[in-house]
Amino acid sequence: MSKYEINELYDHAQGAFHLKNLLTDLGERSVYDAAAQCNRCGYCGTVCPTYMLTGRETLSARGRNQFLRMLIEGKVAGAETAAESFGTCLLCGACSSACYAKVPTPDLALEGRRSQTGYGRNFLAGVAVNLLLNNRGFFEFWLKAAFLLKKLGFAGLADLLGLYDFLGLPALSAAQGVLDRAPLKFLRDIFNQDPALNPKGKKTVSWAYFALCGPNYIFPEVGLASVALLKRFSGEGVFADNFCCGLIAYNYGRLTEAKEFAKKNILRFEELTAAFGNFTVVGDCSSCAAFMKTYEQLFTDDESWRPRAAAFAGAVKDILEVIDAEQVTARDRGAAGRTTYHDSCRACHGQDIRKEPRAVVKKLAGENFAELPESDWCCGGAGAYAFTQPALSRQILDRKVRNIASIRAATVVVGATSCLLQINAGLKEKYPSAKAVHYSVFVDGLTNPSAKAADVNPPKGRFTSPTI
Amino acid sequence: MFKKHRFETVRKELEALLGPENIFTDAAELLMYSYDAGLARAKPEAVARFTLTEQVAPAVKILYAAGIPYLPRLAGTNLSGGTIPLKGGVILNLSLLNKIRQIDTVNKVAVVEPGVVNLRLQQELDKFGFFYAPDPSSQKVSTIGGNIGENAGGPLCLKYGVTADNVERLEVVTPEGSVKRWSYLDPGPDLMSLIIGSEGTLGIVTRAWLKIIEKPKLVKTAVAAFPSIENAITAVTGIISSGIAPRALEAMDKMSLSAAKKTLKTDYPAGSEAILIIELDGAGDKKINQELRDIEYICRAEAAVYFKTAAGAEEREALWQARKGAYPAMARLAPNVLVEDGVVPRPRLPQALKETREILSKYKLTAGLLFHAGDGNLHPNIVFDERDLQEGKRVRKAGYEILKSCIRLGGSISGEHGIGVEKRVAMNWMYDARTLDFFAGIKKAFDPADLANPDKILPVACDHRAGLRYADPAPFGDAAAALVNDLLLRARSGIPSAVTGLGTKLKKNRIMEGLKTAETSALNRVLELDRANFTVKAEAGISVRELKRSLKDDGFEIALPDLEGSLGGAIAAKTWPPLRNLILGMDIALADGAVLTLGGKIVKNVAGYDALKLLCGSLGAYAVILTVTLKTALRSHSACGGTAGSESGFEPDEYHCRLKKAFDPRNLLNPWMYGRVEGRG
Repeated sequence: MSKYEINELYDHAQGAFHLKNLLTDLGERSVYDAAAQCNRCGYCGTVCPTYMLTGRETLSARGRNQFLRMLIEGKVAGAETAAESFGTCLLCGACSSACYAKVPTPDLALEGRRSQTGYGRNFLAGVAVNLLLNNRGFFEFWLKAAFLLKKLGFAGLADLLGLYDFLGLPALSAAQGVLDRAPLKFLRDIFNQDPALNPKGKKTVSWAYFALCGPNYIFPEVGLASVALLKRFSGEGVFADNFCCGLIAYNYGRLTEAKEFAKKNILRFEELTAAFGNFTVVGDCSSCAAFMKTYEQLFTDDESWRPRAAAFAGAVKDILEVIDAEQVTARDRGAAGRTTYHDSCRACHGQDIRKEPRAVVKKLAGENFAELPESDWCCGGAGAYAFTQPALSRQILDRKVRNIASIRAATVVVGATSCLLQINAGLKEKYPSAKAVHYSVFVDGLTNPSAKAADVNPPKGRFTSPTI
Repeated sequence: MFKKHRFETVRKELEALLGPENIFTDAAELLMYSYDAGLARAKPEAVARFTLTEQVAPAVKILYAAGIPYLPRLAGTNLSGGTIPLKGGVILNLSLLNKIRQIDTVNKVAVVEPGVVNLRLQQELDKFGFFYAPDPSSQKVSTIGGNIGENAGGPLCLKYGVTADNVERLEVVTPEGSVKRWSYLDPGPDLMSLIIGSEGTLGIVTRAWLKIIEKPKLVKTAVAAFPSIENAITAVTGIISSGIAPRALEAMDKMSLSAAKKTLKTDYPAGSEAILIIELDGAGDKKINQELRDIEYICRAEAAVYFKTAAGAEEREALWQARKGAYPAMARLAPNVLVEDGVVPRPRLPQALKETREILSKYKLTAGLLFHAGDGNLHPNIVFDERDLQEGKRVRKAGYEILKSCIRLGGSISGEHGIGVEKRVAMNWMYDARTLDFFAGIKKAFDPADLANPDKILPVACDHRAGLRYADPAPFGDAAAALVNDLLLRARSGIPSAVTGLGTKLKKNRIMEGLKTAETSALNRVLELDRANFTVKAEAGISVRELKRSLKDDGFEIALPDLEGSLGGAIAAKTWPPLRNLILGMDIALADGAVLTLGGKIVKNVAGYDALKLLCGSLGAYAVILTVTLKTALRSHSACGGTAGSESGFEPDEYHCRLKKAFDPRNLLNPWMYGRVEGRG
């Protein structure tokens, strides 16, 4: 590092807000070196959704890399100048997939966001993250209260009372409008009472189900399906009774808390490892699974935690890569109608998982399978993106819906709960004859001998033309 | 740095035209348009984003009237700093002008807006069984507008020609904001081709009519591995001299290969230092297979340790991905890469390679070597880290030395990446002062106020070091010297001349009474047939028939129909428009007797404006063509019969007149044609 002059004003020693090093495809790099690795060839241009929509370099992957670099070199007046550039990044990572040097633009964009004064130090976000971290019961109580209001027909009331804001999850208030049913029983409640998942009496297990926030708080049916699949295809396992993976905190810019979440989960993992030896940690939301695979990067400045984080990360698997196409046979191929597969960003770009889930879905759908054009384009969900960048998110979503409509799909299989919310919101409004379904729900619905065909959500009624 | 108020004077007008949401002057946006894929940097004063092609001309008018510099920008993948706003001003962001307007498979033309990404066009054409020949390695992201601005090539240009050979017509917004539609088929000097490769300094393309070609029935790709890159290059010479015309011949060394290899499954045998990708196309299996066998034989004779024809589409695709990914993959090796783009006559490629190697080792640099080997185009990809200032300096020096070496070998400083700002200084080494003035005259004729992408292509500082050029083995003969002398003497006393060749185009009665003639009929020799390079240089007064006969006697062929009259006459009268694709170089005499050497013996050259094509159809009124260098044994682009001379239909465009004024201000050559030159422009 000392070889080059860098900006003294950009203080990387502010450990609370910055990662020490990034773990890139080319090895461990300082943030500056990682950004400088972008040689501006521009080959990422056509895959960056925000660039393709706006034609603006400022909203391109290359632009973001350059911005961070110039920030570090002191060529930018203040990090706030770059707020739009970094803030509009979907963190989808399509650029890194296209990049030969695999420059980690999403990590760099987050680094850029964290450089902005006050970023992630929003009071409400802090409350939410702290509640999740230290007082889950309290958090869950109020979330259930909000959902209860919705159930009782006072959907707007929770909003009005500011419950979601209070929980620091404004995105959820936007999302709950598209939720068909809000769960009053979270996965943790269910699985902690499931004797089959109880660690007691077991000597070895081959998997531990890790309940991520999306399935846990919003889509318990996803978790139930995942566990059903794991039970059928992967032998004995347990419920990890874990904490939030920390991605929410990380994306909010709260690095310290993200590390705390990671540490709690690592400790939990170590407890289980002590009891059962090696097993895989299975998550069923690609965004979180991808994040957990990079836990080591959070601790590049911490020699004692780093190897432990690496051990945890090495055990993580996305449900998308767990099931082998050889293992499955469909009960009823036609049940889901014309089926397609949407590559959730953090599955394809974040973890390079493309083939396995596609093979399974293809096998189950048979001739009903159709490839989705631009299947690895972000849907615009991207965590809270739909809330923070509504206009862009909407345009990106429109493009996704248009692609779905172009192949007249009835079922869109996805791997992340954020995609589930976002794509269903778009479909409901503009192409109601299709529905997005989580991979686990889709696979379980078509392979579970006791499930009803209706679980896969086959669309009712005739094909309607898209209204885009 | 720049007067900020300058833009404020036009802000309202531009906002009204484009919408306020498309005018950006915030610090972030300006910073983001201060770089491209090269190393130069400068910030604009504003960025204007366009959503309709019709907005370009009025916006340009506004800026021109206000005296604000501007330049068009698309994907920003330029490797020579061409999109850097050196004088501030406004960046015209055209990337949303990305509609494919029409694909016409009957007339074999695609009509596109400038922001269409090359690969996207290819994908759309593919659905109809067609393709567009120029396929630069950057085609995944680079746009047609940018390709036209730089006159991009690509692997396939070996057989199908560069961008200039594949454009039928352009809609151009001139620097002052008029809208023109020019085709190379128009009578008179070829303005369309002048725009191609002009890097946004002569106008902005808002619509392009591109030639599309039916996909060949068969394409076969083979790869050969060699113990050294020299062997691969020598094999290329062997393949070309055997008379086989592959559609692509691409060489890459081990370093480029290992950076990009991710997509390649094959491991080449130990000791492989370079590979050669050979691609053939055609209609018949039998012929291609025979050619492949011949090529394998040639490669094996050059010590190839491996030769394999790709089994299917997937293997082919992997080979091309490795080749086209070689440049971006350099990012794995170091944070920066300088891609040089020298061209030499193909037989001198081994020598150029040797010198390049020596220069690299002298400056202690590493580079992946890529070659469009069939075209004599070298791309050393020098990797470095610009943060290491010393290394950066060495890279620049080495880059310049490589260019000088190419010039000395009779080549050019750029084959397809353009001059931009980074090679401006090298223009001084390539051309003498008179030729640079000639180019400057073109720029001035189009853009008198110097606002369209100013300070690009032409050197700004006087660093004249002419004489680097390869000593021409065929100097002017007595006849040419006498003609030039006549022009010189007449120019001194202001006596005009009628330029004639063999008298087939310019009938005696057309010549103004009492006008002296400048006859090229005595310039009738074939000066040089370069058998290895497949070029022939002849004096312009030679009759086309005589040239063909002479070549035939030497066992060569030229893709020319039986044209009446002299070679120079056929060019000047544009009797057969495709002739422009064969011309590689010319010596010309201007009205004042100055002799300029344009082009050379290389098939790709984007150093300076394409004056060679401009002179096609110039009817002797711009300059007297003394010698012409032509490609031989190129397969004919549908050699049709000669069409009649087009002087009768020629009604000079305003820009024709302006150029006339620049080249021949006193109207000494064929003065009747631009009788009104004084009054216009």
